[in-house]
Amino acid sequence: MASAQLRDTRRRIRSVEAIKKITRAMELIATSRIPKAQGRVNASKPYTAKLIEVIENVGAAGAGAKHRLLEQREIKTVGLLVVGSDRGLAGSYSSNVIRLAESRIRELDREGKDVVLYAVGKKAQAYFRYRGFRIEGSYLGVTDTPGYGDARAVASSAVTAFATGRIDSVEVFFTRYQSAMTQTPTRVDLLPITPPERADREGPTATYEFEPSPEEILDRLLPRYVEATVFNVLLEASASEHSARRRAMKAATDNAEELIRVLSVQANRARQAEITTAITEIVGGAEALAEKST
Amino acid sequence: MANAFQVDVVSPEATVWSGAATFLLAKTPDGELGIMANHEPLMGSLVTGAVIVEAEDGTRTTIGVHGGFLQVLDNQVTLITDRAQVTSGGREEAVQVAEQLAAEAPPEEEPIEVPEEATDS
Repeated sequence: MASAQLRDTRRRIRSVEAIKKITRAMELIATSRIPKAQGRVNASKPYTAKLIEVIENVGAAGAGAKHRLLEQREIKTVGLLVVGSDRGLAGSYSSNVIRLAESRIRELDREGKDVVLYAVGKKAQAYFRYRGFRIEGSYLGVTDTPGYGDARAVASSAVTAFATGRIDSVEVFFTRYQSAMTQTPTRVDLLPITPPERADREGPTATYEFEPSPEEILDRLLPRYVEATVFNVLLEASASEHSARRRAMKAATDNAEELIRVLSVQANRARQAEITTAITEIVGGAEALAEKST
Repeated sequence: MANAFQVDVVSPEATVWSGAATFLLAKTPDGELGIMANHEPLMGSLVTGAVIVEAEDGTRTTIGVHGGFLQVLDNQVTLITDRAQVTSGGREEAVQVAEQLAAEAPPEEEPIEVPEEATDS
């Protein structure tokens, strides 16, 4: 009969194998989603680029440099938008962003400024709620495949809070997708909008003709710029999340393989020890019998 | 060649159409607007409807468009749309597609009301 140790080891091997199947599956799923997420990041870039171009042109054509979203006020309350993930199993993905945001919160705290939080993803929400921070808005279930509507929802609450003077600036914390290998937690200032500096290109654009007034155009352009920026942030964060999850799950799968190897050696050794004991017992018994009969 | 101009139709999700064109028809709040090469610089808003682009090689593309802006500058026409989709059929279909896009579109952000006391400070 198999000894207790052998049975235990075999049971552990089976359970590690089952876990390995799961992590392998998650790794493959994440891997398949990366190119898609990356493609969406790239596809959204022309829009933002064109939008910036148009805002520059409208600004250069002298449309009101005064707009409530451009207004630089004395900063008393800062809104922080933290983009984490909904699920764990992505290594240090969420905690890296959260750590960056939290150190900023402490910094603002020392400067005597109030902080209002907006959380994207369950992990960010849970972390800050547990620590008793005031969360003004949380957006769940958007990080997997963010849509433009999600970006609009996030952006509009930030814009409203800013425009009504409840917060004086908005900073975004997310993980920038630099390449398949590198993703870095980053901070981006969202509001007030820093007017994109017009790089001195071709001549004057004073002859612009506006269909509604320049102010009206700007009034519609700027909120869209905020939305597009948030959309970009969400898409990059999503690509980063899938990459982080792939890496974490690959490490888990590799670990499981290593563990199975070690456990197999242990199981074999236990089995061999058992056989050796059995043989010794049989040989011993046979010898004892032979001695008796002579 | 001389009377062609660059057209870019972009939406937040993707570049919908891009290339050289000889004629473009778009709908603005004031009515329909046809654009040919060397149009004067213009900045306008777009309303839900069909956009027709006649490419340099003579092919016609209809695009259903919902919301956004139109910029004409230095023979470059840029349509920054909220949502847009190239359609295969004629103009009616494009209009239908545009209306469908409008119906599916995420709601416009509510107008922001600025309380009096906030504007003073």
